[in-house]
Amino acid sequence: MKVEAIQYGDRKVYTVASFNRGVADWLSRLPTIWVEGEVTELRRNARWQSVFFTLKDPSDGACVGVTIARSRFDALRLDLADGERAHVFGRPELFEAKGDYRMRALSIERFGLGDHLAALERLKKKLAAEGVFERKRPLPLLPRRIGLVTGNDAAAKRDVLATITARFPAARIVVAETYVQGPFAATAMIEALREVSAAPDVDVVVLARGGGSFEDLLPFSDERLVRAVAASPVPVVSAVGHEQDTPLCDLAADARASTPTAAARLVVPDAAELLQRLDRARGALGRGARGVVERRRQRLEQTHERLRRAPALAVERKRARLEHSAGRLRALSPRATLQRGYAIVRRGDAIVRSADAVAAGETIDVEVAEGRFGARVE
Amino acid sequence: MTFEEAQRELEQIVERLERGDAGLDEAIKLWERGEELYKRCVGQLDAAQGKIEELARRAESAKP
Repeated sequence: MKVEAIQYGDRKVYTVASFNRGVADWLSRLPTIWVEGEVTELRRNARWQSVFFTLKDPSDGACVGVTIARSRFDALRLDLADGERAHVFGRPELFEAKGDYRMRALSIERFGLGDHLAALERLKKKLAAEGVFERKRPLPLLPRRIGLVTGNDAAAKRDVLATITARFPAARIVVAETYVQGPFAATAMIEALREVSAAPDVDVVVLARGGGSFEDLLPFSDERLVRAVAASPVPVVSAVGHEQDTPLCDLAADARASTPTAAARLVVPDAAELLQRLDRARGALGRGARGVVERRRQRLEQTHERLRRAPALAVERKRARLEHSAGRLRALSPRATLQRGYAIVRRGDAIVRSADAVAAGETIDVEVAEGRFGARVE
Repeated sequence: MTFEEAQRELEQIVERLERGDAGLDEAIKLWERGEELYKRCVGQLDAAQGKIEELARRAESAKP
């Protein structure tokens, strides 16, 4: 249909209908392409000509309305449910009565395993480049309270609770039960995570889920959840699936456990082992204190032994010096003079010092260095 | 007087006596002083040991 303008002097003016018509015409020239997103708000009614749904970008929530002919939709036999990822082949189309634009779909394809894997790989690269996987905080040795985010009747929950209680009976746990699979799991887990990490005294959070199919575990790689785990105010331990599964939330968590039981072992110490260690430390403390006294005592005893010997030693030294003096004293006695050839002459007991003291014919006594002999005065 | 002060003085006395430069009377006096210091040190060590044993006993009986 031709778009006609109304002339108001120099001004060309269009009616709303013709404006919309013009835009619609222009949009119809855009190519038909594939668009990827999450299917939400799917509405199908047997009396309607078309099926409606909203295609949503999982990373930022951008939306576009989609219509597809009901016969075509039914022929695809997709059995699509809300929250599922899909590739939609179509082109933009204006709903002229409202001025809304939407996508007219010609075909829809379910997001296949390969698509999921490729999308995960891209998301992983993107988050890694942003440093989302780099924050690793140490877990508390003894958490005041432990937050547990898990499914409502999951074996994972039972495993975590049983292991924590067995290792550390006094542990206090805040459990947040939530959806752990399906289209609402990611947002529900984000909410649960926020709730338990904000609860008073919670020092660590465990995110636990048992094994499951690749699709079952997909919510644990949801970009919003991965970012929420990385941004958690308290450390998060991720224990999702089995050993071989590595959902992206495992990479963003502060610690990763291969099973829920292993996660429980990470968050609480073994009380019995802890007590043993404390006992050993106390033993060492006592030995240390006794050792200090013992070393002082040994040194004191050695010093005392030296003290005990010291006076005798001092007296001995003095005695030696005395002996030395005595020796020198003796060296100065008259006997030494006799050695040089002098003699002592006695008459009776008196030493003869003058020739007048003796008369001829008297007997005298002569002492020389070696012995003595008698003599007569001439 | 702390244990360490007493021990230091005792060791100085022993060194002085072993050098042998003290007079005889002085040496006797030093010796007496040394013995007195030794007794004081032993007393302090015995007291410390007693306290340690007492604490150990108390800790043992408070065991959970």
